[in-house]
Amino acid sequence: MKLKEMGGGNWKNQKSKKKQNLQRQKRGPRLPSSLQKQIDRLNPTTPLESADSDDNDLYEYEEERAEEESRKNKRYDPVSVNDDLSEEIEDENVQSDDESGDSDYIGTKKDENVQSDDSGEEDDGRHARMLQAITGMPSEAFEENKKKKKTMNDFVIPELYPGPEYNPSRDVGEGNARISIEDLLNPLSEKPTYGKLRKRQLQIMKHGRIVHAPLSKAVQAKVERTAAYEVSKKDVSKWQHIIQRNREAPTIFFDEDVNLGFSTVGAIASEFEPRTEFEKKIAALVYDNEVTDAHKNDGSKLLEMNKVSIEDEKDRQNRIAKMRSLLFRHEMKAKHIKKIKSRTFHRLLKKDRFKAEASQIQMDPEAAKEHAMKRERERAEERMTLKHKNQNRWAKRIIQRGLNSQDEGTRAAIAEQHQRHAELTRKMHSMKDSSSSSEDTSDEDDFENSAGSDQERAYKLLGKARDKTMKVLEEENEVPKSGLLSLPFMRRGLEKRREEAVEEANLAFQEYEDSLKKLENSGSLEDPKAASTSGRKVFGPAKAQISDTSVKVKSYNSYGGSDSEDDLGIGKSDNMENMGSHLLHNKDSVVIQEDTDTHKESLLKTIDDIIENPGPKTTCEVSIFVSDQWKKAKNKNENTTIKKSPNLTGPVRQNKKDAEKEIGEDSDTDSVGQMVDGILSSVSKVPYELPSQEELIRQAFAGDDVEGDFEKDKQEILEEENPEPEKPLLLPGWGQWTHIQEKKGLPSWMLKKHEDAQKKRAEALKKRKDAQLKNVIISEKIDKKAEKLHTKSLPFPFTSKEVFEQSMRVPIGPEFNPATAIGPLTRPEVVKKPGVIIKPVEFEDVNPHEKSEQRSGDKRKFKKTSGKPVKKAKVGGKK
Amino acid sequence: MGKTEENDALTKNKPPTEKDILAELELKMKKYLRGESANLEVLKDKKLKGQLAVKEQLYGKSAQAAAKAEKWLMPSEGGYLEAEGLEKTWRIKQETIAHEVDISSSRKQYDIILPELGPYTLDFTSSGRYMAVGGRKGHLGIVDMINLSLIRELQVRETVRDVVFLHNELFFAAAQKKYPYIYNREGTELHCLKEHGPVLRLQFLKNHFLLATLNKFGQLRYQDVTMGSMVGNFRTGLGRTDVMQVNPFNGVVSLGHSGGTVTMWKPTSSAPLIKMLCHQGPVSALAFHSNGHLMATAGKDKKVKLWDLRKFEVLQTLPGHANTLDFSQKGLLACGNGSLIQVLRDVSGTQNYSRYMTHSMVKGYQVGKLIFRPYEDVLGIGHSTGWSSILIPGAGEPNFDSWVANPFETSKQRREKEIRALLDKLPPETIMLNPSKIGTVKPKREKPTKQEREAEVEAAVEAAKGMKLKKKTKGRNKPGKRVQKKQEALSRVKRPYLEQKIQEEENMSRKKQKTSEGVELPKSLQRFARKKASS
Repeated sequence: MKLKEMGGGNWKNQKSKKKQNLQRQKRGPRLPSSLQKQIDRLNPTTPLESADSDDNDLYEYEEERAEEESRKNKRYDPVSVNDDLSEEIEDENVQSDDESGDSDYIGTKKDENVQSDDSGEEDDGRHARMLQAITGMPSEAFEENKKKKKTMNDFVIPELYPGPEYNPSRDVGEGNARISIEDLLNPLSEKPTYGKLRKRQLQIMKHGRIVHAPLSKAVQAKVERTAAYEVSKKDVSKWQHIIQRNREAPTIFFDEDVNLGFSTVGAIASEFEPRTEFEKKIAALVYDNEVTDAHKNDGSKLLEMNKVSIEDEKDRQNRIAKMRSLLFRHEMKAKHIKKIKSRTFHRLLKKDRFKAEASQIQMDPEAAKEHAMKRERERAEERMTLKHKNQNRWAKRIIQRGLNSQDEGTRAAIAEQHQRHAELTRKMHSMKDSSSSSEDTSDEDDFENSAGSDQERAYKLLGKARDKTMKVLEEENEVPKSGLLSLPFMRRGLEKRREEAVEEANLAFQEYEDSLKKLENSGSLEDPKAASTSGRKVFGPAKAQISDTSVKVKSYNSYGGSDSEDDLGIGKSDNMENMGSHLLHNKDSVVIQEDTDTHKESLLKTIDDIIENPGPKTTCEVSIFVSDQWKKAKNKNENTTIKKSPNLTGPVRQNKKDAEKEIGEDSDTDSVGQMVDGILSSVSKVPYELPSQEELIRQAFAGDDVEGDFEKDKQEILEEENPEPEKPLLLPGWGQWTHIQEKKGLPSWMLKKHEDAQKKRAEALKKRKDAQLKNVIISEKIDKKAEKLHTKSLPFPFTSKEVFEQSMRVPIGPEFNPATAIGPLTRPEVVKKPGVIIKPVEFEDVNPHEKSEQRSGDKRKFKKTSGKPVKKAKVGGKK
Repeated sequence: MGKTEENDALTKNKPPTEKDILAELELKMKKYLRGESANLEVLKDKKLKGQLAVKEQLYGKSAQAAAKAEKWLMPSEGGYLEAEGLEKTWRIKQETIAHEVDISSSRKQYDIILPELGPYTLDFTSSGRYMAVGGRKGHLGIVDMINLSLIRELQVRETVRDVVFLHNELFFAAAQKKYPYIYNREGTELHCLKEHGPVLRLQFLKNHFLLATLNKFGQLRYQDVTMGSMVGNFRTGLGRTDVMQVNPFNGVVSLGHSGGTVTMWKPTSSAPLIKMLCHQGPVSALAFHSNGHLMATAGKDKKVKLWDLRKFEVLQTLPGHANTLDFSQKGLLACGNGSLIQVLRDVSGTQNYSRYMTHSMVKGYQVGKLIFRPYEDVLGIGHSTGWSSILIPGAGEPNFDSWVANPFETSKQRREKEIRALLDKLPPETIMLNPSKIGTVKPKREKPTKQEREAEVEAAVEAAKGMKLKKKTKGRNKPGKRVQKKQEALSRVKRPYLEQKIQEEENMSRKKQKTSEGVELPKSLQRFARKKASS
């Protein structure tokens, strides 16, 4: 400790000495010149001497410094620093205290010395006086003290004092700069403490150690800092590999092995410890040994242990019963509430019911009858009770008060009631009337009104029916001579159907006849009306229609029965219906739909056929309906083609007309109007048309001087982008006054300018991408819209365009990379789960040479190593 | 007797050694790496270097995984017809092939004869599952190609010139007499695109959802099918033509004209990107290889030419007419002329096409449209009396990627895919000759035009004028001072531009001097000229 202190002090002293030296040197020029001169005169050799001594000094210092340093190094051994930092701190404190004392002390001394150097002995006296004044002690004490100190210091550390080297007078006086400790000790031999001193000196001599003066504070701090820097650098540099590794890692992972502690309720519960009284009690019960044993064995013992008092049981039962009853009541209530429906619901329900009833009445005679009965009953009730005839209290009161004085709503209500009454009491039609067919009621009201007896009506009806059948029979005899139905197979089918229809009609006719006869026989024979209607043909348009539809339906039914394909049948019958309109309006959309249906069927068939017989075979598909129109169109087509073929050889002008016709789509325009869908018989094949005249001509002459045209085009475009410089021209009259001027021609600058412009143009043209390609024009226009797809400048870390573009060349999307590679390609720099706490990096030994291996190694390794430090640092919940 | 050898090229050879496999994988990896990586050694920035190195490594791994998957996991392998001895592949008839192949394949050979409704045109969906059929005389239909059932058929009662599927089989467009129409699968007319006029050809750009049409007046129109907006409307100015094809690689639409030129268009520029003279006579057909580098054109000058679109140079010129051309997925080229169909194949892999197969239709049948069915070795032929289908071994890609096109797609998958496709829809400006340039640094403009420069200066001046001055006190707020300050600000703003201008002028004059100096001495003596720096 002491040594250290001393060292510190020495160091300081040394430093101060140096400083002093410097000070002195510095101070030189600051002295007044007169004084300086005086000094010079007094000791002219001083500067030289001093310089010498200085040299010596320096040498000495260096040596000592080196020693000091080595010691110092020893002191600041890293191990020691690391081992006992606290000690160091203590040391420092002590030292600093010491230092401050020292420095103070030295400071005063220094000053003193300086002063003594400059102004001789009187200074000493002044100083003593000063000390005396400050401390209040006699100056002798100081003197003595000083002397002692002086001696001590002199032999212990000669550098402490400016010493003889700096004291020119002394130097000069002695002639020898070296003063040994013996020299100093000798005069003290008589003193009583000499032996002690001597001993000490011997000791020092033996050990040969010299304690140096402490350095100044600033220098010391600096040295300390440098040393500390070294140490801390070393300390920090051990992290370097870890940090470098983390920096170089493409991704850092913070989500490895995230343990968030307990995951299940059971796990949490298992950790539970009973603490409060209550908890302890419960635990004692739950973890009762007997109970657990019983559980473990077979559970029969549990029953024995389960002792329940009668009161408890009763209580429990009562409670349960109460709860049950409550529940039941609640349930009932809920049911009740559930049943209650809203007003609108009931209204709708009622409406539905009425609707259903109404429909049922129409459909079902039984229901109708029931309904009628009900109505009858209602009516009777109403008539009996007169419920709605102002009988109730409310109505009576209102009437009593006077209807006029009531408000609108009430009056309306009263009116409604009246209406209801009227409705209810209205006499119903008889049952029979309401159940008869709607046709009768709607169409033939006159019958109802006029016809007296049922017989008569029946007679009339029969007569009419017979007439209609007759008419239909007659109608059907007409065979359609045009249109779809004129086709042989259609005709056949039609005939078949007609035969059936005729048969049926005949039967019906006979029936009518029979019944008519019966009627005639039974009823009044000489009914003029009946007679007039019986034999004659009386056609009413409406009636005819009715019969027509009926027959049609019949025929349709019969057809449906005979044909297996119902859809086709429907289509056909519909087509038959629409025949007329169909032919007139080709673009009827409905028809298109239907047609496509049928067409599809047929095409399917063809495909199937072809699949069955894969050989090259033309399948003849019988079309479903072919119109005359189509045939006509075909003929036309043929005609035109025939016409065309001779024309091809003939002169061009003649068939200009023809060509005009076919400009648009070769011969399509003609046939479009008459085009009819469906697959047509393959018998009539339209030969492939030769290319039209115009096309031929185009082909023949298009190739003329194509290259020339193209070149011209290219020139134009080049001209547009880089216009040819204008030829230099003078304004007429300008610069042409004399023939000399004329002879000179254009001024040289003009010519030069023109030449330059031309050169520039040539260069620009040469730069074009298509400069070497004679047959290509590559547009140089910049697409402004596409500019946003490029980066405006190189992104930051890149410095060369090539490197950037090369780094962008591989797409990293999932469409372009295998699934194994997408993850690493698109992984972010930091992978972290939300909520994970990132802990500081923990130290770990890393082999710096592992790096290269890592680079070339597997990705997983990468991941692992990069994750490691973090992994260590992070797992918090694991402890 | 010809023998079809598909998928058993390997069995004949010895099992490949490890070295071979490695070489093969290397080759495939190269394909997936899409070019060399940049030279990272040059980079000074260590961090960037490290990052890029890691990235490159990942790319390498991805490519390797892809190559491995391609090598080992693909369910089936493609193959071609191989002739033995003196046999020639093009002598092998469809009948003989039919004997050799399995039943399901032999079912793919058929002719559908529909003589009345005129020459037929065809189109397949991208998965090859559905085919749209358009008869000249108004017959439209959709056929499910797997079970050969007709899904829907309708008769529009007017000329139909072209049919094309939109993004899936639910919609198709038909170019009819006056306008193009869009129908759904049920045959219901959804839209009438009146703006397009009488359209001759239709093309659909699947990634951009654009319907491109070319009408009688030589107008090219692009319509966005999703929003219905008209994206582009250009007059070609080169006359009527019905030769139109989309380059599947970049979505550029190419047109063949009667002047023998082929023009390439994108929807965002009114001038063609490329205009090239391909033939002496009118261009009759066009086709693009799916890699986007190869174009085939046929002209009325009795030539079929193959072009390299990177250099715009002819690779190969073949004699013969062709009304229609089509490239298969594997790069077979089908040419149809009259009733004869030729399929060419690049045997050596050096873009040197030679005859691979031929097929002649029944005499009198005029082939109007050839189209390879995707993912099948099938060539669909639309001709004057219906349509046919023949087997071309090795035409289609043997393995389909269900994320790209799935022939066995369920309706749910289709729906999902539709949504995905809509989300991934590319804007029309992404159509450019080289789409791989997207995302790179903007090509430098030579010089900002005079107008632009002026505009820039003006904008800067305006900004300076609009600047608000602080309210200062103590005599600094005098109007004179304020005006002065404003003027100063203006001059400060203008200064850089002026300096630039001066610099440029100086540069120009220096250049001139240099050129004049260079001119002074003949080239042979220039090296003796004293250099300024040394003196």
